[in-house]
Formats: sequence, C-alpha cells, structure tokens
Amino acid sequence: MRAAWLICRKDLRARLRDRSAILIGVVVPLGLAFIFNSIFSGISGASVFSLGVVNADHGAVSQQFTSHVLPAVGRSGLIAIHPEPTVAQARALAAKGKLAAVIVIPAGFSALVQAGQPASMQVIGNVDAPINTEVARSITEGFAADLNRIRLSVATVAAGNPGVTPAQVQALAARAAAAAAPVAVNDVSAQTKELDQKSFFAAGMAVFFLFFTVQFGVTSLLEERNDGTLARLLAAPISRASILGGKLLTSFLLGTISMTVLAVATTLLFGASWGNPLGVAVLVIAAILAATGIMALIATLAKNAEQAANWQSVVAVILGLVGGTFFPVSQAPGVLSRLTFVAPQAWFLRGLGDLRGGSISVVWVPALAMLIFAVVTGGLALTRLNRLAEV
Amino acid sequence: MKAVWIALANLRRMFRVRTNIFFVFVFPMVLILILGATFGGSASPRLGVVTTGSGPLGAALLRQLEQTPHLRVVAVSDPAVLLTQVERGNMAAGVVIPPGYDGAVRAGHAATLRYLARPDQSSQRLGETVRGAVARQAALLGAARFAVAQHAAPSFGDGLARATKIFPAVPAVSVTQATAGTAQFSKTLGQFDEGAWTELLLFLFLIAMTGSVALIESRRLGVSRRMLATPTSSATVIAGETLGRVLISCVQALVIILGSALLFGVNWGAPAAVAAVVVLFALVASGAGIFVGTLFRNEQQAIGVSLLLGLGLGALGGCMVPLEVFSPVMRRVAHITPQAWGNDAFARLVGHGASITGILPQLGVLAAYAAVLLTLAAWRLRRVLAG
Repeated sequence: MRAAWLICRKDLRARLRDRSAILIGVVVPLGLAFIFNSIFSGISGASVFSLGVVNADHGAVSQQFTSHVLPAVGRSGLIAIHPEPTVAQARALAAKGKLAAVIVIPAGFSALVQAGQPASMQVIGNVDAPINTEVARSITEGFAADLNRIRLSVATVAAGNPGVTPAQVQALAARAAAAAAPVAVNDVSAQTKELDQKSFFAAGMAVFFLFFTVQFGVTSLLEERNDGTLARLLAAPISRASILGGKLLTSFLLGTISMTVLAVATTLLFGASWGNPLGVAVLVIAAILAATGIMALIATLAKNAEQAANWQSVVAVILGLVGGTFFPVSQAPGVLSRLTFVAPQAWFLRGLGDLRGGSISVVWVPALAMLIFAVVTGGLALTRLNRLAEV
Repeated sequence: MKAVWIALANLRRMFRVRTNIFFVFVFPMVLILILGATFGGSASPRLGVVTTGSGPLGAALLRQLEQTPHLRVVAVSDPAVLLTQVERGNMAAGVVIPPGYDGAVRAGHAATLRYLARPDQSSQRLGETVRGAVARQAALLGAARFAVAQHAAPSFGDGLARATKIFPAVPAVSVTQATAGTAQFSKTLGQFDEGAWTELLLFLFLIAMTGSVALIESRRLGVSRRMLATPTSSATVIAGETLGRVLISCVQALVIILGSALLFGVNWGAPAAVAAVVVLFALVASGAGIFVGTLFRNEQQAIGVSLLLGLGLGALGGCMVPLEVFSPVMRRVAHITPQAWGNDAFARLVGHGASITGILPQLGVLAAYAAVLLTLAAWRLRRVLAG
C-alpha cells in the first residue's frame, strides 16, 4: 500500500512538473469552456425580439388587436412591441434588422372586416430572422383566424336560413364575437432538467478532457516498460498489485483534481452552476472510475505507449462526441439520440441535468450506469493488466 | 528537390500511423454526417404532441400543427414521456390534446389543451406558433358550435360539415408576408453544405496544429540533426518541413472535399476558388502548426496547446456554431481568426454562388495570415534547428 502511494506520488509530481496534466486537465477545458460560453452568451443576449406595429387603420377591429392581443403577447417580456408611425419607416428598421418583424394593419382594415369583405394584414420580416418572422406571422394569423371564426359562424348560420336580413347578420356577428373560443390553450411550465449554457459547456468540456487526463496514470505503465524502469520496479520488493494500484490511483487522483478545479473555477469565473455538491461528487467519482476503466482497458490492448495514446484519443473523442459533450446529440433524429448512452459522458451530463430539476436521489441511475462501465472495462483491464506488468 | 523528398517523408510518417488516418479523414466526415443529420437544412424546433384518446378532432388539430412551417412535429404517446422530453431539452415544447377532446368540443364544453414549455425564450415563443395553429382550427369548430347554438344546425357534426364546406367561399381575413433587407446569409444551402466547409476548416487547422508534435518528435529522435549533418542547407530543411505540412493539409482537404461531395452530395462551389481558399488556408494552418511546434519541447504540452488553439480558434471562427448567429460584437471578434475569413469565403462561394473574384478580400486576408505565420515559423524553426 505504501509502495502504491509512493509510485502514485512520484507520478503525480512528474505530471505536475512537466505541466502536461495541468494543460490537459485544467487549462484547455477551462479555455474552451470560456470561448464557447462567450460565443453563446453573445447569442442569447441579443434575442429579445423587437416587433414593430404600424396601425394605419385606427378602426375598432385594429384597436382590438393593438390594445388586447399585442399587450398579452408582450406580457411575457420576451417580445418588445414598438409602435411605428409609417410603413416606410418600419420597413427600413426591419431591413436593418433593428426590428425582427413588423405587423402592418392597412388603412380601412376595420371597415373591410365589418363589411364582410376580404381584408388582409401584412407581416414584414427581416430576411435573416425567419424564426421571429414566423412568430409575428403566428400572432397575426391567430387574430385573423378569430375574425374568420366570427365570419364563418355567421355564414354557417346564414347558409341554413336563406332569408336572413343584414340587420340579423349584424346581430349574429355580435353574438358570434361574444362566444367563447372553443379551444383554450393553457400554459403548463415544465421544469428545466437541462443544464444552462454556461454549465453545459463547463461540464461538457470537463468530462471530455477527463478521459484524456486519466490517461496519464495507466499509460505510464507502458512508458515505464519502454524506459526499462518497470523491470527495476518488479525487481524491488514491491508486489505487482502495488504497482498497478499506484498507477490506477494516479489516474483517479488526477481526474479528481481536474474535475474539482474545473467545477470550482467555472463556478467562480463565469457563474456555471453544477448543482448540489454531494450529487455532483457522486457523479464525478463515477465518471472518473468509468474513464479510468475504459482508458486502462485500451492501454492493455496496445503494444506501446504511443499506440495506446493514439487509440485512447480516438476512443475519447468518439465517446465525447457521441456523449454530447460538444453539442446536445439528444436532439438528433432517431438512432443517434439513443446511441448517445453508449458513452459514460452522456450519463454524466444527464445526471447533472436531472440534478438541476430534482432531488439528489436522481443521480443514482446515471451514477450506476457509469459504474457499470467502470466495472466491466476495469475488470477486463485488470485481467490483462497483470500481463502488462511483465517485462 | 531535396525539399520535396523531405516533404514526402513527412507525409509517409504521418499516414503510417493508422489512427492518424482516422483523425485526418474519417472523423471529419463522420462529423459532417452527424451535424448534417442533426442540425442540417433547417433549425426548426421540435414540438412533441400527444393525441392519445383525443379522437378525430384531435387528429385534425395534429394535422394543422404539422402543416405549420418552421415546426417539426413529433408524435409522443404519453404525456409523462412528453414532459420528460421537454424538461431534458430534447424537444422545444409540447402540446397535450387531452383524451375526450373530440367529445368535449362536440358537446359544446370548453376544451383545454396543455402547452408544456420550459421557462426559456425559444420554448415560450413557440407558444405563439402553437396558438396561431390552434386558432385556425378553432375557427371551424367555433362556427359549428355557433350554428348549433343558433339552432341553424341539428348537430355539431352537421355544423362542422357545413362550416368546412363553405369555409373556402367565405371572404377571408388573411395575412400576407414579405421580407425586408438583403440576405447576409444564403438560405439555399444543402443539408450538409455548411457543416462540410466548417468541419473542413476546423480539421485542417486542428490537424496542422497537432502536427506540431511531429516536429518535436523529429527533434527528439534526431531526424532533424541527421538531416542537417548531410550536405543540406537549413533553408532546404525548413522548406521541406513546411512543404510536408502543407502537403498533408492539401491531401486532407482533397479527400474530405471529394469524399463529402460523393457520399453526401455536398456542394463546394467553383473549383478554382475552392482550391485557392484551401491552399491559402493550408499555408496559414501549417505556419501556425510549425510555429507552435517550435515553442515546446514536450509533446504532451504541444498537444494540449494545439487542442486549445485548434478547437478554440475554430469555435471562435464559426466552425462549431455558424457566424450568422453570433452577436455583432462577437462576429467582429471572430474575424481575428483565419477560420472566420475562410468561413466567409465558403459562405459566399456556396451560399451565393460567387466566383473567385467575389472572394478576393477573404483571399487577401488569408494570404496575409499565411505570409506572417510562415515567416514567424521559418524564423523560429531556423533557431530551433541551429540550437
């Protein structure tokens, strides 16, 4: 045990001295999380949607739209309503992108609507804002649909009684307008079990590079063999288990240091929120074990340290990508969104996401999934590691 | 001539390691495929809809939602599953059409749909789209119900049939749509196009950066020393090393471009212009890679810095998220990177069908980057080789 600890300390010191572990374990993930975060915070900051409205009509119907429909839409705080005096002015602002879209109610609109004539409203959208233009169109269409409901109601009744007078039509229209909408839409707010952007990039990069960081421990066994120091270790009164234990301990400690520093640093530096510390600790430990197991297994399959490093990076990159550490693969269609769970990284990120929207008990399933990875790959590795520790 | 042999030796050393083939060719292609499949074509949000037990009218509403543009409707069987999907961010929002919806509407009761949304902006905004679609459907239902209430139709079914029949004949209040402004970003890209050129630039740079490790290895193994011991000038060695890196980048680009064009039908634009962008970008990337290779003695450190610069500058330059969604400030910052200029060039070539004359400014900037980085690299390399 003492020997294992000595070997581990020697390795840790060597890794920290040549700075490679600090680079891979801390500097690179932190730097990338920072870059991703600054790109994306620029995106979400610019997205309160500015909707222009030009009311050239000022009739009763358009009044209904501007004083009832639009304020209800603006109440969410996500859409800012800007009344504009003329179509030309509003169109110029939309062309420049100052307004994402403009809703135009043309002069005489109310009169046409009340006379039962064809009438139309216009939506002018900025060419680079298709989604917001679509929202503006939906708001307008919703209003138009309600006007059409009234017309259609009157027409349906009138179709059954050929003899209705214009006065009766007026009365029917008033009654139809007063009728309650047949279908209501109730908002139910769902919890967020998704990491916010900052936390996603922090956690994603941390777990992606974790697989590279734990490499330093196990793979150094191959280096020791190359350099001839393994033979000397074996000749010393040290059990083989101690040598292996020391190397695995190095992986585990490097992983722990890296994840802890990253969690604390991203929380303090750019306000990432990882969640309940105890739950995070459980997930982090499970992830480190899974990473160590997988990387150790690959090391035992390789001929030399260089080949091991190459194969390990291939596997780490593929698992990182499939596990959704760079972008959420779960939105991908079909197979890919299920395939993601062949990667422990996906379980780690899901665990953190669930932890955000629930109690600490939710971490057990993802933690257990990662532990299964650890046990299976680690077990296979151990049966082969003994062979590795031979000269 | 010797420089060419040194370059070819570099190329051989690179591709003798089979995992390099994976990172240089296979991995970028896989990413192009995944990105195209996940995000390609349109950025339409996914709306989950539960219609279980909601009857024919529920199915009609589902069809109405499916016809709404900029929306991908996904049928979900169970409200609990839908809630989880929305909470985990797999879907932007969800609609539950309750069991018995059909009966409630027919009987004149108030029917209520549930709209599940996270408290974020995209989720909330999608609510307006859903409400618009529901209102269109409700026009018919409202008319049918009104006809029954006014004793003009014997039953809801009769009223609905009549309303549906006369609906096209009733003068409508409609909404017309126009766009303003000139498109900065073309909308006519194929599903894999944008992913293809952004991944090409990302990986050309990344591989050139991690190639810096080969330079350190050359020094460690004494390859450089032995080359200099032969009657070969250091200028030739430097030219050979540089040419080797550029050659690797060009082979990589050629394989990715041809491969993605053949496999996924990616459109790359005018060949001569594409060649100009790729060669200049390969020079930039090689210069940067060699420069980094001369700054470190330890291969692990060089890999760390290469990953940081390769992925970091790539992300900043619009290789992971397109520049068009950057805020104006970030877009200006992004143009510190050569990747942003490369992306601009491809956006013009592919999106707007520009020829080589249309991307002269971008080519000029890339050439300037190449000149500066290659000069720096040659200067450092001479010092390192001498040392």
